[in-house]
Amino acid sequence: MDTTRDGTRMKDPAPEMCSDESALAPEPPRTRAGRGLVKVSRATYLKEAALRNLFLLCACVAVAGVGLIFLFVGLKGWPIFGKVGIWQFLAGPKWYPTAGYFGILILIVNSLLAMIGALALGGPLAVGTAVFLSEVASPRVREIVRPAVELLAGIPSVVYGFFGLVLLRPIVADLFGGLGFGLFTVWLILAVMIVPTIAALTEDALRSVPEGIREASYAMGATKWQTIWRVLLPAAKIGIIDAIILGMGRAIGETMAVVMIAGNAPVIPDGFFKPFLTLTTVIVMNMPYASGDHRTALFGVAIVLFIVSMLFVAAIRLISRLGKEMS
Amino acid sequence: MRARRVPIARLAAVLGTALLLAGCGRGGSGSQQRLTVTGSTTVLPIAEVAAEEFQTAHPGKRVLVAGVGSSAGIESVSNGTSDIGTSSRDLKPEEESLGLVDTPIALDAVAVIVNPSNPVDGLTKTQVAEVFEGKITNWNQVGGPDLEIGLVNRDEASGTREAFSKIVLGGKGFDPTAAVLPGTGQVRSVVAQAASGVGYISLGFVDSSVKALSIDGIPANEQTVADGTYPISRLLHFFTKGEPTGLTKEYVDFVLSPQVQDEVVRDAGFLPIPKDAK
Repeated sequence: MDTTRDGTRMKDPAPEMCSDESALAPEPPRTRAGRGLVKVSRATYLKEAALRNLFLLCACVAVAGVGLIFLFVGLKGWPIFGKVGIWQFLAGPKWYPTAGYFGILILIVNSLLAMIGALALGGPLAVGTAVFLSEVASPRVREIVRPAVELLAGIPSVVYGFFGLVLLRPIVADLFGGLGFGLFTVWLILAVMIVPTIAALTEDALRSVPEGIREASYAMGATKWQTIWRVLLPAAKIGIIDAIILGMGRAIGETMAVVMIAGNAPVIPDGFFKPFLTLTTVIVMNMPYASGDHRTALFGVAIVLFIVSMLFVAAIRLISRLGKEMS
Repeated sequence: MRARRVPIARLAAVLGTALLLAGCGRGGSGSQQRLTVTGSTTVLPIAEVAAEEFQTAHPGKRVLVAGVGSSAGIESVSNGTSDIGTSSRDLKPEEESLGLVDTPIALDAVAVIVNPSNPVDGLTKTQVAEVFEGKITNWNQVGGPDLEIGLVNRDEASGTREAFSKIVLGGKGFDPTAAVLPGTGQVRSVVAQAASGVGYISLGFVDSSVKALSIDGIPANEQTVADGTYPISRLLHFFTKGEPTGLTKEYVDFVLSPQVQDEVVRDAGFLPIPKDAK
């Protein structure tokens, strides 16, 4: 399973770093047995060491990117917490920044509402797709369905938004009245958008369940359905939870598609077909003209988003670790 | 489109203009003639494009345009910092003694649009205000079908929203539950598709996909805007200290020429100044 590999890799970096320093020493370190570097020529050894450092550099750039963004967003947004107070900022009920109201509670609630609905619709769809791909489909069907699902992930989110705005929204407006902006429309689009993320990881998790377990289940007279429901899904549980958390991250962070179909009213909608504004869309809508405290508040919103996604990553790591300890 | 600039940009623009002028003054008569136009961001698209075309037509003459807001524009022309102050509002009583001469350069009219299938053809200005404040929420309250009103608002960067809010709402707030869309085109297409929709756009952008309501019984069209009877409209002004002369007059005349009035002004969503009015 992916997560297991990640887990073991996580414990490695410390000794790896030491080896990079010693790599520059004249005598190849004898402790690094098993790499076969001891016996090769100096030129080959240097090339290997250079490559290792190159990859280390790549990793450092990624880490530095995250660090710099966090630092920048943090520095830009921090003053708003001092200005209005962390609690008033997070729990203030009114977002009307040009009039001096900087409460993002409604934005948080709206983002959660959008995410929960998308997950309720898209989660089962994605897990079902994964079960179909992994357990039910014949190889030929699988070769058609899987690229189609992967293609969903490749569609730019602005295209989803445009599709939602121009095609889906008028249909929703005709069927349910109103303008067609609102939670319902956003749920439909987000549900489709998170399917590839959840489906791919769930399929991996199902495939990593050893074949022997399936055979044992069939040998005991279980039907295909019973095998899937009672044996495979529980066995792949940890991987599926990881997949769903990643899907949550995708749903709550999605911006371009949502901004086009949410309607962007800074209130908690009193229905499924009423406009609403979220944490991500407020930044897109307000950034072009925001200034002063308003701009700082938008960076404050970005800090909240950053922390939310860190929580998701932390949750995945924690669950994977728990899963490994259990097995 | 007509975006409001942030205060820092305003400050920078004012400082920049001041520096340029100072430089110009000290640097001597120079080979180039310069004209400084500052003021309303609503007027900016007209003043800017007109300036580009003016410079192309008159090489060696420079027109510097900055959007700093109407009040700052009036202030800078009255204290001599700029040659022309542009404004999307009339002079306030305390500004009338400054000796400024008003040249209207375009009409900015906002149409209230509904879906063509909506049987409501007109509202009073008060009704429009109540609709956008969220006090009237169903079309049957204004003689239409029993249908919840779908309010479409613009984002706060919009000059159209600013004009609409000032003229119709008189400073009262919009209904916060209204959908907020980032462009004229989106407002128009959403209203064109939803039977319950109502929004507002510059009259210059109204097309056959939507219906412009008459206000206080006066239909929204170029005639009623030109003769001043359509209530949701305002003049865009150039203010000069005394009658325009020299380069200032050349530029003002250029802006009032058919080339700018029929092309630039209309492209920006405004209506030209009728020939006989001044």
